[in-house]
Amino acid sequence: MSLPEQKPDLEDSINVSEAHGRLVREAAACVREKRIAANGSEPISLWVIALCGVVVLIAGGILGGAGDWFNYKATFREGYVRSAAPGAEDTGPQPKEALAAYMAKGAKIYSAKCNGCHGADAKGDGANYPSLVGSKWVVGSSEKLSMIILNGLQGPTSTGKTYGAGMPAQAAGLTAEDLAGIMTYIRNNFGNTTGDVITAEMAKAALDISAARAKAGQQVTGEELVADHDKALPGAPLDPKTMVDPVTLAPATAPAAQP
Amino acid sequence: MSLRTFILGLSASFGVAWLAIVVIPFFKMRNLEPIQLDEVADGTTGIFYPKRTGRIADGSRVYAQNGCYLCHSQLVRPTYAGNDLFRPDWGGLKSDGDRGDTRRETNAYDFTGEKFAQIGVTRMGPDLSNLGRRLDALHAKGESPEAWLYSFLYNPRSNPEHWKSTCPPQPFLFVKREIKGNPSPDALPVNAGEGFEIVPGPDAKALVSYLLSLKKDQKVPAVLNFAPAKKAGS
Amino acid sequence: MSSATTSSSEQDALLRAGIDRSLRHPVMFFLTSGAAWLAVSILLGIIASAKVHSPGLLSSCAWLTYGRVFPAHLNALVYGWGMQAAFAVIIWLMARLSRKECTMTGTILTAGHLWNLGVSLGVIGILSGNGTGIPWMEFPTFAWPVLLISYIAILIGSFIQFRVRPEGHVYISQWYLLAAMIWFPWIFITANTLLHCIPGHPVMGAAISAWFRSAIIFLFFMPVAIGAAYYLAPKVTGRPIFSYSLAKLGFWSLAIIAPWAGMQKLTGAPIPYFLPYLGAAATALIFVPAATAAYNTIRTMLSAEETLAVSPSLRFTVAGITGLVVLAAAAVFLNLPGSTLPLTQFSLSGYGFEILAIYGFFSLVMFGTAYFIVPRVTRREWLSSRLIKIHFLFSVYGIITVALITLFGGLQQGIGQEDWKQPWAAAASRAYPYAVANTVAWILILFSNLFFLLHLALMWIGLGRRSSHPTLLQSAHASSPHGAEGDIDNAGPATTH
Repeated sequence: MSLPEQKPDLEDSINVSEAHGRLVREAAACVREKRIAANGSEPISLWVIALCGVVVLIAGGILGGAGDWFNYKATFREGYVRSAAPGAEDTGPQPKEALAAYMAKGAKIYSAKCNGCHGADAKGDGANYPSLVGSKWVVGSSEKLSMIILNGLQGPTSTGKTYGAGMPAQAAGLTAEDLAGIMTYIRNNFGNTTGDVITAEMAKAALDISAARAKAGQQVTGEELVADHDKALPGAPLDPKTMVDPVTLAPATAPAAQP
Repeated sequence: MSLRTFILGLSASFGVAWLAIVVIPFFKMRNLEPIQLDEVADGTTGIFYPKRTGRIADGSRVYAQNGCYLCHSQLVRPTYAGNDLFRPDWGGLKSDGDRGDTRRETNAYDFTGEKFAQIGVTRMGPDLSNLGRRLDALHAKGESPEAWLYSFLYNPRSNPEHWKSTCPPQPFLFVKREIKGNPSPDALPVNAGEGFEIVPGPDAKALVSYLLSLKKDQKVPAVLNFAPAKKAGS
Repeated sequence: MSSATTSSSEQDALLRAGIDRSLRHPVMFFLTSGAAWLAVSILLGIIASAKVHSPGLLSSCAWLTYGRVFPAHLNALVYGWGMQAAFAVIIWLMARLSRKECTMTGTILTAGHLWNLGVSLGVIGILSGNGTGIPWMEFPTFAWPVLLISYIAILIGSFIQFRVRPEGHVYISQWYLLAAMIWFPWIFITANTLLHCIPGHPVMGAAISAWFRSAIIFLFFMPVAIGAAYYLAPKVTGRPIFSYSLAKLGFWSLAIIAPWAGMQKLTGAPIPYFLPYLGAAATALIFVPAATAAYNTIRTMLSAEETLAVSPSLRFTVAGITGLVVLAAAAVFLNLPGSTLPLTQFSLSGYGFEILAIYGFFSLVMFGTAYFIVPRVTRREWLSSRLIKIHFLFSVYGIITVALITLFGGLQQGIGQEDWKQPWAAAASRAYPYAVANTVAWILILFSNLFFLLHLALMWIGLGRRSSHPTLLQSAHASSPHGAEGDIDNAGPATTH
């Protein structure tokens, strides 16, 4: 049998069985196909069910850690607090020796506030800004220096030379730690080597003394410095090698970790 | 099962998930309100809005086009999701001179200015959330972060510290041109031949500006501050 | 012509042959252009993988920088090969199962050319530096509407054929394929609209991109491959599906579970906290539909071991279904939030998992289906069982390497990454051996697929064997009355022996 719309391949053939054979051969692949039988209903192996069960339990565990479902506001876990790093000491910056810590603080302030006038090497310029290198009032008693920094200076310096209108007060915005840092820095840098640390406690006392001055708010003069302030600032001295927290300058309770 | 049941079942099973995890969170997060700072908890009033300086839109476009996200992530995960915060310079700096430990997790406000947060696909290279902060340390050594980055992008292995880096060189972001008069200040320290210099092209400049803007360790308001409470007396 | 075997009636065979004939050009077009894209993609993949361990290779060429050649590789694999193989299989299977000839050949072919144009321009766009930077959606933004329109034009005919199918039982494959046909545009439009057209939060955009990648695998490639396997297993073996109710259960479990998966890739990111955990749980639960489909099809195939031993279609299908089992196990093992997820989140595991899904499972089943379909639409049998064997062996060698990279390499890399006390270089160097293994794997797979492309092209231009016997992997017909190679000549059945 041949279907009218099926044209035999190329040659005409009046041999029906030949045409028929050819057609079937062209559909040979389809002829040998088997029908899909869909309806098997064998029981499922228990192993597969058990494995799926285990996975469902695992997924349940994961969901258990999901917190509040559909809470679109919370982007972090409820009640999350950072856990400490397991093992090594991981709390904050490494403690430093007190002298180095205070000087580091002072260095920053110096480059922000002081080197504009006194120069990066603290030598001044000879005419308008005095040198701090080896200056008696810098390396002498600490209260004198603190008064100069906080209130500014008018008139001749320790060398007897007058530098223009004098130094403006630098107390604005200066915390006790900052003052302690800058004083320690200039006393131990640029060739100065007092070797001591002006602590924040001492600097705090200096702030009080400065506020309690008779001429509070005005620049100090050399006479006032020599008369009233030629002493060390009150406060317990600090061994320059004490370990402190470099940010708060408080003595570090933790032992120094390896650098 | 009829086609109608099938379509219904399909729409329900897909639709619920589609709404719940794609559409609704998308539209909710679109309108993310900035956090109001609280006088008591944060010390000031106003809103928390981390500022980013740099060419963020252009730079993130170059970042995306050149596939940096394939090897670098920009996600500092909370400690319950990974150990990123324990690294000394990924979430911030462990010992910054001024602020001490500035490390923090990435929050939802950290990608402002970008259309698509390049969270990243793999970490063949380090996380870049605070690349700008890390490179700031170069200032103290007297080097320029821009110059370092240009040099790195041109050829990562030119830096002996990174001789094993598998970051691909990107010489096509740079331009070789004749030195006219004085060499350009941007010119790379690379031998480009007699009378020639290699300078960053516009894409390199945008990319470097973007990379240097990556400083995600600003102080966060109390609601986003997950640091453990400090022990008294320390 | 009567035959002693239980084959179907002549009329039915001629009907089916007619359907096959009507589909010859669309199916061969999609398979051959898909195979060509597969070869291109693998070549790009080799270059990309080589650059991971040898970054200086070809570094002066901007078009071949890793950040461009890798997305080009993945997008060519997904859209160039994966989708086109799926198109070929869907249109043929839906036509056969609905017992309708294809009447939209012109539309489908035009749309197919449009699809290829879209993918080509997209890949060139990525390589020239205009990619979007969104994983799996790096084609420049002009590409996605073109692809969407082509998709609709290609598959609308199959949907219509299903609607006008003859009354009767709807087979499980039809449900899987129909579902895939509906899911893909839903997912594709959602992701592209939300990421390109509507401005949203940048991190949520990243989350939707992660959902997209997972959804394309589990809600398009997986159902197409499972549907094809459910067709091939009983068709070639002649045995019924092991448990048909299990098959339906598997389908609905996939439909319910898979849409929730994907966002575990963003664990720890500032998106709503519960999203990644739902994603991780759903990805782990993919084990259920995957295991049920694998169990069903493998038991069906194993019930006719002689056929399984010689049939190329079944060999590839069984290998693909094994890939599915490995994929299902990996889905559970790699996504546990407390333990393995932080390790695998940013490691080679993600890529390995995707390749296992697209090549180790989907592509192997598609090859099996192609080895079944192509002789029927071209009316020629495969030229050489040796070519088939090479294709099979090297693909399997390659994908086993990829599986190992996924499971072990990714974890090793993750462990290094999480070891925060070590400097980063220590973590980065852990990836090196696995990158080399990846390159080797792709080279093996390229080798195998060049043979496949050659074989396919020869079949397309009509150079296959004229025979009534299929090309089998072992000669099982040496004693057949039609001779060892079947009737090769065209002169009619032999009248004398």
